[in-house]
Order: sequence, then C-alpha cells, then structure tokens
Amino acid sequence: MKPIEILLVEDNPGDVRLTREALRDGKMKNNLHVAMDGVEALAFLRREGRHTAAPRPDVILLDLNLPKKNGREVLAEVKSDPELMRIPVVVLTTSADEHDVLKAYEYHANCYITKPVDLEKFLDVVRSIEDFWFTIVRLPSDVGHGPK
Amino acid sequence: MADDSEKTREALLAELASCRAQITKLERNRLDPVGERLLAGLLQASPDGVLIADSEGTLRLVNHAAEVMLGYGPGELVGKPIEVLVPAASAARHVGLRKAFASEPQVRRMGTGLTLSARRKDGSELPVEISLSPLETPDGRFVVSSVRDVTERRDSEMLQRRQAEALERSNDQLQQFAYVASHDLQEPLRMVSSYLQLLDRRYHDKLDEDARDFIGFAVDGAKRMQALINDLLVYSRIGVREELRGRIDLNEIVARELKSLEVAVREAAAVVEVARLPMINGEGGEMGQVFLNLIGNALKFRKPGVEPVISITSEHRGDTWQITVADNGIGMDPQYKERIFQIFQRLHTRSEYPGTGIGLAICKRIIEGHGGSITVDTAPGAGSKFKITLPNRRPTP
Repeated sequence: MKPIEILLVEDNPGDVRLTREALRDGKMKNNLHVAMDGVEALAFLRREGRHTAAPRPDVILLDLNLPKKNGREVLAEVKSDPELMRIPVVVLTTSADEHDVLKAYEYHANCYITKPVDLEKFLDVVRSIEDFWFTIVRLPSDVGHGPK
Repeated sequence: MADDSEKTREALLAELASCRAQITKLERNRLDPVGERLLAGLLQASPDGVLIADSEGTLRLVNHAAEVMLGYGPGELVGKPIEVLVPAASAARHVGLRKAFASEPQVRRMGTGLTLSARRKDGSELPVEISLSPLETPDGRFVVSSVRDVTERRDSEMLQRRQAEALERSNDQLQQFAYVASHDLQEPLRMVSSYLQLLDRRYHDKLDEDARDFIGFAVDGAKRMQALINDLLVYSRIGVREELRGRIDLNEIVARELKSLEVAVREAAAVVEVARLPMINGEGGEMGQVFLNLIGNALKFRKPGVEPVISITSEHRGDTWQITVADNGIGMDPQYKERIFQIFQRLHTRSEYPGTGIGLAICKRIIEGHGGSITVDTAPGAGSKFKITLPNRRPTP
C-alpha cells in the first residue's frame, strides 16, 4: 500500500517533532512533509521552486499563526484554487479563540482542532486525525477525482 | 326710540369702562424712576452679555458683562456695527442672516447645538452661545442678543471626548493584548509540558522517584498556568460581543447550564431548585457563564456529609430584579465578602479546592457590564447567598 502524504504547515520545531513522534507509531505508513511558513506551504502545494518534485498531500495540517503568510491566508488560497481545493485541510492550532474557529470554517477548513496542552491528548489528536482521514473517510484521491 | 337711546347709553358706558381699564393698565406699566434704575442695574448686573442692536445692525446698548467678555472698554461698542463682533470668516454671511431675522423676528437660540464664536477686540475668538429676541418699541424694532461664554463647557466637553477616546483605545489595546498574550503564551507552555511528559514517558524506567516527582510538579505548574491564561482570556472578552445582546429568558439559560453540569450535580448528589426566573436584557452566553460559575461554586464548596441544596430564586423590586443563588455549603468569613470578587483571589489552597480564583471576578464583571451588581451574604458553615441585582427595563426599540 502506498504511504499517505501529509503536509504539516508549522513554524514551531517542537510541534513538528511532537507530530512526528505521534505519527511514528501510527497505523499507516506515512510521509510527513513540513513547511515552516505560509509561503513555503503554497510553493510546496504548487510544486514551485525547490518543490518541483513534491507529492500532492492527502491531507494538510495547518497552523494559523505562521510567518510571512499566515494560516488563514494559506487556507483561503488553497480553498479558492481549483487545483487544491479538494485537499482536506485540518486546522491544528494553539488558538481556542471563537473568532479564529469561525473564520477558519468560513474559509472552508475541513475541521478545526485546538492543540491540547497535555501530551497524551496531543498524541491522541494526531492519531485521531490519521485514523479519521485515512481509515474512515473516503478522500477525493480514493475516487479518482483527486490529483493526477 | 327709547330702546335706541338705551343702547347708546350702554355702549357709551362700556366704552368708558374699557378706557378706564386701559388707563389703569398704562399706569401700571409705566415705570417709576426707581423701577427704571432697577432695570438698568439688572441689565448691568447680568452675568450674560446683553447687546441691543437697531434694525441696521448698529449696537445701541451693551452691558458690562458683554464689554468684559469681548474685551472692550465701557461704552466703546455703542454705535459700532454688530459685525465687529463676528469672526471675519462668517461676517459677510452674518449680514444676510441678520437681515433675514429682522424681516421675520422670533425668539430663538442662535445655532442651536453649535458652538458659535464671537470676535473679541484683540481679534481672538471666544466660544459662545447666543439667544436672540426681537424688541418692538415706539422708536422702532431692535434685536436683543444674550451672549454666554461657553469656554469652560466646551473645554470640559473636549476633555470628556478625549478621555472617552483614550478609554476606548486602551480597551481595544487591552483586548488585543489579552488575545495575543493568551494565544502566544500557550505555545511555549505547551512545549514545556509536552516535552516533560514525553521525557517521563520515554525514560520512565531510567528515572528515579525524585526525577519523576520533579517532572510531575513541572507539568502541574504548566497546566495551572494554562488554566490561568484561559481564564484571563475569558475575563478579557467579557462585554466585547455587544451585538449578541438581546431579550433573554433566564429560565432557559439556567436550564442549559444545569444540563452541562448534570454529571457534577449527580456526583455531588445535589438538589437544585429553580424558581420562575424573569426575562432580562443581556448576553445569553455571558449570563450563562454567571450561573455556571455560581452553581459550580455551590457544588464545589459543599459541606461534607450534608446533602447539597442549591436554590435559585428571583424577586421583582421596582426597577430591578434580584436573583439569588443560595446554597447550604461551607460559607465563608464575611470579611472576605469583597475580596472573593477580585481576580485571582482564593480563600483555600489548591489541594483543598481546585480552581484559579477567577470565577467570581468573571461573574462580577459580567453583571456590572449588564448594569447590575452582585454581592454575597454568608457566614462560616451557614452557606452562601449570592444576590444579583439587574435593571428591569424594556429594550429600547
């Protein structure tokens, strides 16, 4: 079975490592790609610059507060780009602010998750994301309408 | 014929009576010299400036207050056109306005709602309020202007406006600060606690008892810090969502909060009695938070070995509603009645009762934001009665 491709857009190396740790003993074989800011995330998705060989991710884990271009802008661009709009975007952020939650859904985020402070809960969240998006739901890539 | 002469006589008598009445009235109206001096004195003593101009706009009488206010010497203004007192920018327009007033005179305030300016002798301008009234005399029509210096009022209005703007700015900055602080503070905190926990998880067997204890304290500290930040965020957002205010039914609000407290109520084996509550004007989410905190406290501070009874009642008192949340819990020393409503004030150690000490501060801020007040009646061992007073007014349409 082909490994799942995950793009994590996250500027905090601590969070990147935690996510990696959580996915390490996950059920599915996965490739975690990391973009440290919004500009790089979009370059990855559009295979620009050093990302010409980048795979199309099956799911995007997106932090909101990012350098250069923040997560809301990345979300808005992804969801208005016909080439990218079908990729599920999971907003994974520290913010529990209701304004952020509402804005994210307005921009068509597929779900919004506040990062738990507790390690166990954080690991659970990452595993749940993996479980939900890769074993429960059917993705556009499964039905042949996804990426070529 | 007799009838006719009778009528004439009656008519003459009536005319005579009317003449007498007129004479009496004229005599009454004619001032004696003392009266005239009093009138002149009154004019001079008036704290408002009084100026009388003729139909040509020439000043004919100016009282002392007007001379002082406008920086002129005694008698200096008489004979001058009233336009010398109008700022250059509006002098030309003033001539037209004056003529319009002369053709249709009526008592009125000039520039109602506006602050007008008068030009003083030295060219400086003075904020004034002016009332005009026509004065008809056998010598022609005059216009009386009553002028009041409103420098002080204008200054205090400006000060008030500046203060209101500064307050609004500072509130905005506070909101922004609270958001940024709570949001950006969470991230490093999460790193601290997550990696401590990861350390504990992965190296548990290599660590001795002490090391594990230390990690435990550090993790506990980080979690408490997070709870404080979250509470601070809630506190800072009170009153921000004014657009959500409306007519709300407290019965529904309390029912909703009780539903979310269902497990806690059951675990405490508590009895919650809710009487009929009123409709009020407010923000449903915030009022819900108040009841959540009060009922939550009543459950938390219950007396060991006693079935907790919490009762929520309301009473209509003229222009206000009083809503009481009473419990039969541990109560407290009344000397702390004020202190418990301050932010981060606690009466117990965390090991006795958990919490950040912000719940009642949140209640107070919400209730005060709704134009009300909250107090407590309590004694050690005698339970607590939290009394909320809220204004009872219909929404302004």
